[in-house]
Amino acid sequence: MDGIRIESLTKTYRAGQVRALDGVSLEIAPGEVFGIIGPNGAGKTTLLGCLLGFLRPDSGHVSIAGRAPDDLAIRAVTGYLPERLTLDRWMTGLDFLAYHHALARLPAAGRAAEVQAALARVGLDPEAAHRSIRRYSRGMLQRLGLAQALLGRPRYVFLDEPASGVDPAGVVLFRRLLDEVRADGTTVVLNSHQLDQVERVCDRVAFVKQGRIEALETLHAGAALARVLRVRGPAGTIGAAVPRAALESAAQRAGAELREVTPPVARFAVPDDAGAVRLVQALVAAGVPVAEVMPEEGRLERLFLEDAPPGGPA
Amino acid sequence: MNLTLVLATLRQRFTSPIRLVILLLLGWMPMLPILIAPRAGFAALGDCYFLTLALAAGMIGQDLSSGTLQLLLARPVTRAQYVFSRWGAVAAGTFLVVVLQTLVAALIMALRGAPVPWGEAALHLGNNALIALGMAAVMALLSSLAGGLGDLGLLVLVFISAQVLEKVGQFKSWDWLVRGAGELLRVIKPELDLAPLFHGGPVAWIAVISYLSTVTLCLGLAVVVMNRRELSYASSGN
Repeated sequence: MDGIRIESLTKTYRAGQVRALDGVSLEIAPGEVFGIIGPNGAGKTTLLGCLLGFLRPDSGHVSIAGRAPDDLAIRAVTGYLPERLTLDRWMTGLDFLAYHHALARLPAAGRAAEVQAALARVGLDPEAAHRSIRRYSRGMLQRLGLAQALLGRPRYVFLDEPASGVDPAGVVLFRRLLDEVRADGTTVVLNSHQLDQVERVCDRVAFVKQGRIEALETLHAGAALARVLRVRGPAGTIGAAVPRAALESAAQRAGAELREVTPPVARFAVPDDAGAVRLVQALVAAGVPVAEVMPEEGRLERLFLEDAPPGGPA
Repeated sequence: MNLTLVLATLRQRFTSPIRLVILLLLGWMPMLPILIAPRAGFAALGDCYFLTLALAAGMIGQDLSSGTLQLLLARPVTRAQYVFSRWGAVAAGTFLVVVLQTLVAALIMALRGAPVPWGEAALHLGNNALIALGMAAVMALLSSLAGGLGDLGLLVLVFISAQVLEKVGQFKSWDWLVRGAGELLRVIKPELDLAPLFHGGPVAWIAVISYLSTVTLCLGLAVVVMNRRELSYASSGN
């Protein structure tokens, strides 16, 4: 199999006192975009460290395309963006990408063109590329790190908090890049705290807690109706004076779907922000008195909330 | 050895402003005796021990503490290649400075009307090449053990310990301790005098074996230390 296989992975620190991973088993299919989420100290970074061959598990086994993760043939087709991104600050952005292009054993012939293309891909302007990395902002560093990880179109990409410190435009860019990577058939492992991002881009997500996989969610990235809105009307309206059929008909006109009616609240599924606007307009046009519209937390957020102790998430 | 890594190390070392100032000072100071007494010969330049230290300090430790090593070793580079490349680059960089130093010294001698002893220049270059290779190996080992510039601290610690042991040995008339401390000092400054070769005789085998075993041992241990090292910050956070 060309995917990633993790079998009964256990990793401890401090001579076994801290159990970071506790018998984790998982299979990630080739071309899958796989998310790892969980509270701080859950073992996410340890799992990523084992997948990259940076950490030696106490027991268990990791294989990528049937080989060990530190096999040079695997490293040659792997891209990695660490969370605590520290780049060689004495280089310019251009030098840095050329350096990693060479380290990745990519052909020298196309180096200059590929480095320029990588810079353009992450939206770093040529002027910045000639500047010392020492003078880069946090967002620029993250973009450069992402360009480095995607050099040479790797078959496996490991991203640890890729959108951290990035402005909204950068977040949109990151999503677009991930779509491109997915289209290339690249297997992506994404470790992120930004649940909405994970929910939007991942095919499957593992919820890790205390070194174990507590839940595996299939998200069907790009599903037609990805967001849920809660619409509340004044008492005695939604679900009473306004019958379910009227809500269903308004939803249909807006391209949305009525999920549930619990007076005075109705839950609708919409594809995106524009769909949300269309739904509200259709409801108002149908004479439904709308007092409040709220986006409902995503599935992954619910995973966290269900897991959290009373009083809020940990 | 990985040529990309060797070249990057050389660039990194020679573009650091602090390191450049130190190199300039260490490189030019030995010119003073030559300027004053041009017939003093190349021996007046001294050896490249401190030059190597200036270029080697933090050769691995700085990558360890800054976190750049993770990104580097995610590439198809083995840890042994990494260690050997750093070692080779530091030794080559030092030798480059020594060659420049020797050429400038020869120029000064010629300009001041003194004969240039080319045979002595070759001996100076040969001996210093071996010191550079040896010291770079010692620093590779120490740098793999300590983050940042901790390798310099370890070197000073070993040096002071050896000196103290030597004095204790002399005070107590413990010959074995004096010899042991002497060996320790030789380990942290591996050198091999090629002078006998230039005078028609062989270099003592014991000296060659001692030098080669020190360099090999240091490099081997550095590779073992690096291979055993866990790189994810998750390991240090727990």
